[in-house]
Amino acid sequence: MDQAFEPEITAFYCLYCGTMAADTAGALRVQYPANVKFVRLPCTGKTDIRYLLEAFEQGADGVYVVACPIGNCHHVRGNERGRARLQRAKRILDEIGLGGERLEMFFMSGSQARAFAGAARTMTERVRALGPSPLRPAAGEGRGQAEAGEDDEAGFRGRRPGRAR
Amino acid sequence: MTPTDCPPADPPPIGAVLVVGGGIAGIQASLDLAEQGFKVYLVESRSAIGGHMAQLDKTFPTNDCAMCTLSPRLVETGRHLNIEILTNTEVLSLDGQAGNFTARLRRKPRYIDPLKCVGCGDCEKVCPIRLPDEFNEGLVPRRAAYRLYPQAIPAAYAIEKKGVAPCRDACPAGQRAQGYIALVREGRYADALRVIKEDNPFPGICGRICNHRCELACNRNLVDEPLNIHALKRFVADWAYARPREPVQPVPHTRPERVAIIGAGPCGLTAARDLVSLGYAVTVFEALPVAGGMLRVGIPEYRLPAWIVDREVQDIVDLGVELRLNTTVNNLDDVFAEGFAAVLIAVGAHEGRKLPIPGADLPDVLVNTQFLRDVRLAELDDGRRTRADGQASVAGRRPSTREQIEGKRVLVLGGGNVAVDCARTAVRLGAASVALACLEARAKMPAHVEEIEAAEAEGVTLYPARSFKQIVSEAGRVTGVACVDVTFMQFEPDGTLTLETAPGSEHVIACDTVIFSIGQRAGLAFIPADAGVGVTRQQTIAVNPNTFAATRPGVFAAGDATTGTAFVIEAVAAGHKAAASLHRYLSGEPLEPRFAPDLPVVKLTRPEVEARLARGEVRPAPRVPMPRLPVERRRGSFAEVEQGYDEAQARAEAARCLACGLCSECLSCVYVCGAKAINHDEVERVEEVGVGAVILAPGYQAYTAALAQEFGFGRYPNVVTALQFERLLSASGPTSGHIRRPSDGAAPRKIAFLQCVGSRDQTHDYCSSVCCMYAAKQAIMAVEHAKVEGRGGQVECHVFFMDTRAYSKGYEEYYRRAEQKYGVKYHRCRISALREDPATRDLLVRYAESEPWTADRGQPSLKTDHCSLTTDHFDLVVLSVGMEISESVRKLGRDLGVELDAYGFCHTTLFAPLQTSRPGVYVAGPFREPKDIPESVTEASGAAAAAARQLAPARHTLTRRRDYPPERSVDGEPPRIGVFVCHCGANIGGYLDAPGVAAYARALPGVVHAEANLYTCSQDTVAHLIEQIRTLGLNRVVVAACTPRTHEPLFQDTLRQAGLNPYLFEMANIRNQCSWPHAGDWDGATAKARTLVRMAVARAAELEPVQTSSVPVQRAALVIGGGAAGLSAALALAEQGFPVHLVEREPELGGNLRRVFYLAEASRRLPVTSGPPDPQTFLQEIVSRVRDHPLITVHLSAELADTAGFKGNFVSRLTDGAEIRHGATIVATGGVEYRGPEYGYGQDPRIVTQQQFEALLAGAHLPAPGLVVMIQCIGPAEKFCARLCCAIALKNALKLKALNPQAQITILYRDLRTYGFKERLYTEARRQGVRFIRYEFDRRPVVEIPAPQSPISVHVWEPILGQDIRLRPDLLVLSTPVVPPPGARELASRLKVPLDADGFFQEAHPKLRPVDFASEGLFLAGLAHYPKFLDETIAQAQAAAARAAGLLAQASVRAEARIAVVDPARCVGCLTCVRACPYDAPKVSAAFNGVGGIAGAAFIEPALCRGCGVCAAECPARAIQLRHYRDAEMLPKIEAAFKSQAPPPEASLVRA
Repeated sequence: MDQAFEPEITAFYCLYCGTMAADTAGALRVQYPANVKFVRLPCTGKTDIRYLLEAFEQGADGVYVVACPIGNCHHVRGNERGRARLQRAKRILDEIGLGGERLEMFFMSGSQARAFAGAARTMTERVRALGPSPLRPAAGEGRGQAEAGEDDEAGFRGRRPGRAR
Repeated sequence: MTPTDCPPADPPPIGAVLVVGGGIAGIQASLDLAEQGFKVYLVESRSAIGGHMAQLDKTFPTNDCAMCTLSPRLVETGRHLNIEILTNTEVLSLDGQAGNFTARLRRKPRYIDPLKCVGCGDCEKVCPIRLPDEFNEGLVPRRAAYRLYPQAIPAAYAIEKKGVAPCRDACPAGQRAQGYIALVREGRYADALRVIKEDNPFPGICGRICNHRCELACNRNLVDEPLNIHALKRFVADWAYARPREPVQPVPHTRPERVAIIGAGPCGLTAARDLVSLGYAVTVFEALPVAGGMLRVGIPEYRLPAWIVDREVQDIVDLGVELRLNTTVNNLDDVFAEGFAAVLIAVGAHEGRKLPIPGADLPDVLVNTQFLRDVRLAELDDGRRTRADGQASVAGRRPSTREQIEGKRVLVLGGGNVAVDCARTAVRLGAASVALACLEARAKMPAHVEEIEAAEAEGVTLYPARSFKQIVSEAGRVTGVACVDVTFMQFEPDGTLTLETAPGSEHVIACDTVIFSIGQRAGLAFIPADAGVGVTRQQTIAVNPNTFAATRPGVFAAGDATTGTAFVIEAVAAGHKAAASLHRYLSGEPLEPRFAPDLPVVKLTRPEVEARLARGEVRPAPRVPMPRLPVERRRGSFAEVEQGYDEAQARAEAARCLACGLCSECLSCVYVCGAKAINHDEVERVEEVGVGAVILAPGYQAYTAALAQEFGFGRYPNVVTALQFERLLSASGPTSGHIRRPSDGAAPRKIAFLQCVGSRDQTHDYCSSVCCMYAAKQAIMAVEHAKVEGRGGQVECHVFFMDTRAYSKGYEEYYRRAEQKYGVKYHRCRISALREDPATRDLLVRYAESEPWTADRGQPSLKTDHCSLTTDHFDLVVLSVGMEISESVRKLGRDLGVELDAYGFCHTTLFAPLQTSRPGVYVAGPFREPKDIPESVTEASGAAAAAARQLAPARHTLTRRRDYPPERSVDGEPPRIGVFVCHCGANIGGYLDAPGVAAYARALPGVVHAEANLYTCSQDTVAHLIEQIRTLGLNRVVVAACTPRTHEPLFQDTLRQAGLNPYLFEMANIRNQCSWPHAGDWDGATAKARTLVRMAVARAAELEPVQTSSVPVQRAALVIGGGAAGLSAALALAEQGFPVHLVEREPELGGNLRRVFYLAEASRRLPVTSGPPDPQTFLQEIVSRVRDHPLITVHLSAELADTAGFKGNFVSRLTDGAEIRHGATIVATGGVEYRGPEYGYGQDPRIVTQQQFEALLAGAHLPAPGLVVMIQCIGPAEKFCARLCCAIALKNALKLKALNPQAQITILYRDLRTYGFKERLYTEARRQGVRFIRYEFDRRPVVEIPAPQSPISVHVWEPILGQDIRLRPDLLVLSTPVVPPPGARELASRLKVPLDADGFFQEAHPKLRPVDFASEGLFLAGLAHYPKFLDETIAQAQAAAARAAGLLAQASVRAEARIAVVDPARCVGCLTCVRACPYDAPKVSAAFNGVGGIAGAAFIEPALCRGCGVCAAECPARAIQLRHYRDAEMLPKIEAAFKSQAPPPEASLVRA
């Protein structure tokens, strides 16, 4: 693979364990690549398929979600619901040829600084091996809002006729 | 204040509470009280709250991360307006009485102002001191400037300092010796020089010639030899001066006044430096052609090279001091006439003296100062100034002085250092011989021993103890000095000399040249009698010793001119003080210095030193010797004799420092702190606070494992305590969560956990209640960690235990999981020996495997040998240490006058479990009895209720509310975004281009202003933010700084203060997520910071104000259940003034308590002096109090029919038709004794339950059975531990023994779970001969009931005998468990609250919300939650009342801001949200019209919504939006991660 390729990765995390793991990783100066950009969600139960796909559409080469450990969700089972949706999104990515392996979910408690950094490294390495996302816009050019318009959005609900599982 | 000072009548109580102890119990009590409207003082002895829980990794039985659950509580406590956290504080005494106490508090300094400190940690990074990190249980060191742990609250740092080190204390100039020594040890020589110069401008000089009293005071004297402190100082100077000199920047003159200093000696120059640094224009007058005074002309080159003096003088002059050499001041009036506002006379003592003896005026009789000066100035005249290499000689043209010495016999008269200087100078000038004669005996010579020895080594002959009669001469040439021997001499206090000489001892010491060196004095000729400046009889200038003011206003004098000859360091000290005094004079302040309290001086004692030696912290090591020039090279050469340390020698010597003060006062932190938060001069102070009640929650200390020597802790490195193991497990611990054994860092493959270390032994007759469970947890986590590390879970855990006390909710299941799923091996024995294999440092554990602990074991044969010992190797041994009460907590108890037991636990009664012996003082947590986190939290809430009950009339009298300006509407405004980028000292600014990020942000759409700040969260910057928001008309704010977890509330509050809705705020975490984890990647971190800011700005532009609705609270409570819990909760609320509806299903109040006749009084408690004597009396009392209370409405024979509403506003109907409006609901429906068919129950009247047995025992007609068998763990209790049964069985057994001592009792059990003080019941039962036989579920006892008259037969396998035995009891008592009552499930579904697997009500969080339901406004207590004892039930009922009161005390409740909102026009009523919501917030109702106006759309009740957003993400129609996380706000942010923006030209990726 092209070694010069530096993947762009978007990470979503909840404001409980995810936030704390990120904070702890920083406080302990655990190093990980700077190509991961973070978006905070109230709970990974809010992980919206549309958000995941939107990130890919805008140019992400990989996306992942950091959640509380299974069984320790601060909103009972939000992380499990988020995981179920993420699995659906993975299937969509497989179906459209982007590849579900570009999307991942990690579960960790707030003190697991190394796990947080490990997630960033794992995804960076995995995506670097996979190469740039086919959806990635030409260098430096952002994709316009138009491509994420209302019409496309309906399709990304995973409920188009013939695709429902 | 004494109790009699309190007014006699009932005064209104003080609406404040003192909470002692900042652990989880203290935190919970504080939060509950503050919510209920009371001011809280939370006292913590350490520098941060959090207690032991903060140290834990995971918590059982849910494996929740302790810090994840604790941290939000910490933040909430830290930010609560009505909780004042007093760290580093102890309670000294408590005067007054309940309702009106005065507490005296000792507040120790933390040296860092928590109000100014922003927690950036820069101080920690530069601190050179390493101390054992107590938070990490000593596994790693930490710095003296520290934060207890990363998430600590207060987030401010603190400095650990015991006091002033003795070296500093001994120094007249207060030189921070420990500071520069620590820095030398670290190799930070430039920093060392900086701190030396803080107190002393002459490091190179004092490093050579100081008399170093610091070394006399050095505590290292107690070990071996003092540190060579002056040599270290000299090393620092030599190191610095061997490098190119950096030009000194002149200080601008900011003061109008000019100051004249007469004399350029050490005193005058020190003062000059201080004054010029303060901004004064300073002129120094010096009569000689060189500056430096005595340093330059009085000390010979071989001791102090001239270039050193010149260099250090130049560093002062270059600050902007005007130096006038060769300028003699003849008249003070002239000086004032020239325009100087003040004069400092620091002329030193340059006039040598001769004895008035015959011959003293001969030409060959010289005087010390003149002699030395002549020698030095001759060098100057030669133009042969010495060089930096110190290799100098005074060859060349010989001055007359040299001629007087060279080839001559020289005799120096005097015994001081100057005399020795003269003698050694004479040696170097080529004298034929040099001798030194003095008045003092050799041992009493004032010169330093090393100087005298050096002189002797150089060939100087000593003639001590001589008195000089005359200089003998011949033809005007000296031939000798006539002397007599001195037998006794002493200087009297008034300065006169008492002298006794030996008659007939007259003799002459032959010589050609005599040098007098008997003292010096100031030359004060320029002060005429009419100058107005007084002179003393000793020819010194008369000054006020505090102010150095002479008798003429504006004239000051200091140094040798006022004191007579002294050492250079005294001159430096005097210079500082004189400058400070001059500054006060010129500033118009009172001249006397302000009183400054002294910091304590750290004097180590011999036992302390020996203890440190024993612990290996200190090893004996002699002084590193100072290299010296060989004697043969000294003659004829003025080369420096002492050669100075090299770097290795200096660091080795510095490493010997004992760091007496802990903090070394090296001031590195002060220099680096951008927030100016550090003050090393803080002192301890005592404060008083007035409070109405006190809650003691001081917690426990872990048993000191080193005391149990048999386990080798402290000797074998691979024996660790459970708390240490907890830190090894912690992902944020010293090994980042990789378990590593201390000896070699290897991952252990086999770990032994030894239970009951410091519990259940000869010195502890109680069980510590938590160790079994935490050991199970630690074993599970060890296996989990091994799995994660790819060792396939290959770590074997063995637990050596006596009984497994898994007695609480979910514990039994957890413990079985440890065994069955994680393969933890349990050995039911205590080990018999533990030793170390010295080669591998493995541990050899010997134990008797009496009973193989496997479920599938075969038929074991009868064991005859019980001593079959096994020895097993372990890599690591973990000691499960128990709980103790520390000596300081015992002292607290004594000082506060509460009764303690022999172990220091606080005495309470079972009927008032949270009340200490002193009214108004309550207790929570392990201070009462060992207990786990949920019980401590429960008790804390309960204690809060008890305090609140007393203080209810004073609610809201001392609390504060923050008032905000009215919110500005931003409707219709285009975004005007302000971006504030924080440097966080160097935490952000040191790793990325913060100003560049701000500049970049300025060009982003919607941004009207962007700036970078040093600390955005500091108080002044927050004020600046408010100002900027107002003046620039900002309507959205982005702060790019640290973590929103701690700082978002602060900045949201800032917005509110500026009149903006707090939700118009967005934060970018460019520290924890950027500068820190990408510390080595400046460009990458900068680029990422820009992206994060761009994303934040994109979201901010779309943010909408969020208004939260508030609903008035129905200030009444509904309590369901009229047993002990319901009664206690109802009373606790009613006595606080809240109306209560108490609903009881039965026609009578009392519940299970009606069937309890006596209690298991297990604690070795003090006699009950007050309160009810037995349960039935207690029940009668509480029932009548409930019945008589005007605010309590009792509904008997009634049940809850239905309930609706949300927290603060419920409407409930009862089966009796009553409709109740209430704000809170407490479920206290109790439990029932299980009555199942097991073991023949119901088939024979001789088979009874414990409850029935208790009734028999309590009844008058006990059938006096001789033989009783009890069986534990019946029916459902095989699945969950019902907690009560063991202690109840023992209670009844002991009762039977009391009634019938002949009774034979056998208890068939699995584990005796007598946790806490109940252990004493077990001990007592064994003492009284109760027999215990263990059985397993795979081999239960078998009960046969042959015929009504023949005895019952019980067969049981006796594991020790290894055979079946048969018992024939008169009475078989089944210890059946408490189970949920019928109807619990229906009630749960009516209330929409969950039940656990065993049918008990499920609390919101098993650790930190033990009496709350997940649905807000609903609480639980008593057996409804889980089986528990009466004291536990009462405590939990009070806790539920406190939690309810926290809600009822509010006038209104605010809905969450972040709630989901349905757009009915898009809703198809598909019920997805209803199914997805974990809180039952969405309803689909025909009252709303959905898509196309069809009836039936979802509605989400704002008060029920908790804002997780699951519904919004699930909704197929996208009809639900989560406020503040709307798609319109989120999608632009996701998009902005990739929308590259051309950087504005001024932003570049180069380091600023």
